[in-house]
Amino acid sequence: MNPGKMELNAFLKEREAVLKTWPTGEGVSLQEAVDYQSQIPKEKNFALAMERAHEEGRTLLQPRAGVALVDEHIKLLTWLENEGAADLLPTTIDAYTRQNRYEEAQNGINRSIHAHTSLLNGFPAVNHGLHACRQVVEAVKSPIQVRHGTPDARLLAEITLAGGFTSYEGGGISYNIPYAKKVPLETSMAHWRYVDRLVGWYEEQGIHINREPFGPLTGTLVPPFVALTVAVIEGIAALRQGVKSITLGYGQGGNLVQDVAAMYALRELAAEYFQRENLGDYSLTTVFHQWMGGFPEDEAKAFAVITWGATVGRFARADKIIVKTPHEAMGIPTKEANAAGLLASRQAINMLTDQILPVGPTFRKEIDLIKAEVSCIMDSIYELGLGDVEEGVVAAVASGILDVPFAPASCNHGKLLPMRDDQGFIRVYNWGKVPMSEEIKAFHLERLRQRAQSEGRSVSFQMVTDDIYAISKGKLVGRPR
Amino acid sequence: MKENIVLGVIGYDCHSVGNKILEHVFTEKGYHVHNLGVMVSQEEFIDAAIETGSSAIMVSSLYGHGEIDCAGLREKCVEKGLDDILLYVGGNLVVGKTPLAQVEEKFINMGYDRVFGPDADLDKVHEQLQQDLAARKSGS
Repeated sequence: MNPGKMELNAFLKEREAVLKTWPTGEGVSLQEAVDYQSQIPKEKNFALAMERAHEEGRTLLQPRAGVALVDEHIKLLTWLENEGAADLLPTTIDAYTRQNRYEEAQNGINRSIHAHTSLLNGFPAVNHGLHACRQVVEAVKSPIQVRHGTPDARLLAEITLAGGFTSYEGGGISYNIPYAKKVPLETSMAHWRYVDRLVGWYEEQGIHINREPFGPLTGTLVPPFVALTVAVIEGIAALRQGVKSITLGYGQGGNLVQDVAAMYALRELAAEYFQRENLGDYSLTTVFHQWMGGFPEDEAKAFAVITWGATVGRFARADKIIVKTPHEAMGIPTKEANAAGLLASRQAINMLTDQILPVGPTFRKEIDLIKAEVSCIMDSIYELGLGDVEEGVVAAVASGILDVPFAPASCNHGKLLPMRDDQGFIRVYNWGKVPMSEEIKAFHLERLRQRAQSEGRSVSFQMVTDDIYAISKGKLVGRPR
Repeated sequence: MKENIVLGVIGYDCHSVGNKILEHVFTEKGYHVHNLGVMVSQEEFIDAAIETGSSAIMVSSLYGHGEIDCAGLREKCVEKGLDDILLYVGGNLVVGKTPLAQVEEKFINMGYDRVFGPDADLDKVHEQLQQDLAARKSGS
């Protein structure tokens, strides 16, 4: 059954309990938050920035960044907007906060003060609390978003949205399956229904807040139809709770035709399924993530991966590109490396500003393939949910009908095995329980046989391993050594 | 007899791809791999090593909190009677770009036997593991 929009009273009751889970939650008032949000200048509103870019056909650039301490975090963000010319800013949340481990996050803050360097991989916004969030928001010129990977992000949303952030990443599927080990899917979906309802509540008060489901999932050989199915469902779930500004995403796979086709398919599928669900009055924008898998250690080589991502994202007409850095292979980047990734990406997209990639029959064939694949999964999900996708997706994940490759979550089936074909398209070798049509399965198999033949070896798990490390070793397809 | 080894990603890190590859590769190389998956606490590593009679614990960390998460594992092993267990650690162990030699020194001082970067050659890791296991057995 369609869970429908969460009743305000049920939401407010749950909210009382959420705010008590850490002391910094206790003072958060919705009314005061609306007053604060109302005085944020329009040019710093994330949702409006996305919509403006879409209308003008521009592609915005956004880095990832976050450190343990407030002053250092502000220095990092101002550097990225001044030296890196970022259009949009992030606040990446540390991994302890993502798992609601606020005591460990506090330990990380304390040790970072002592060590004079950040020992956390992000900004622990819950521990720092609402006023620190406002300090960050006020210190920068650009719209700013919370980026994380939190299965239960209710308290984080309360604090950061009241703190003046105007965009919030994540979703009940995309922030569970790639980011958790033992969280039941129905639990994370219920927790994200709360977050979407909170954003919906802000919208009811006239505060425009952008929501962005996390497109790349595990970032490792994810076939487009898997990512797009999740994106469409999370989009539906968000709009049902009153979200008005939705940005759907996709992570670069590596083959130009497949990546551009996936972005086109994403826009078409979202419009079609949102209409099927009678969801109107929304603004849909898209985000393209530069390569999320392993990077070359050599910085010159890393820049090639970064600019290729920027190029494909621009050709795919993404409204926003999430930018990587030349330090990606080594972990968290310095502010200089982060700005360098932005500048390299900017040069690439600026050179493409006036160019349009003709999306002809080759692309159209791939777009239609991806859409047919998504339809196969969505049909099963609607069937399992007796007409409802949110209900159906829980059963679909449990039974392996929707299966995310290489994911850590135990609720995920984990039998679908992807690999690249001879031209680097991501295809499926083992379908697990995914109910794909025989025709599509035969097409994938044929493409993989072509690769096996040209490499003179049989299709095997070794190819998957070779593909996973191929880009960090200098190629797209993991050919035999 | 197959050697038992324990494998997992420490702390609150959920990077699962390399973990799945390690499980696959070390199983192929003939080890009995007890893979605890992602988000494994020090206690879980030690309990698994005791239960399975493992001779090595292989710890991964990709997300930058390795320095905090890995501290004290050697001491806890000794407390639980695992005096001789081999501790291998690999990944992106610290926040930020740092030369591997510097990271290695830090983690060797924390009691780890071998320290690897994110792109370690698994054939070499296997060779070193064989040597280290043989050395432990001969009591040297």
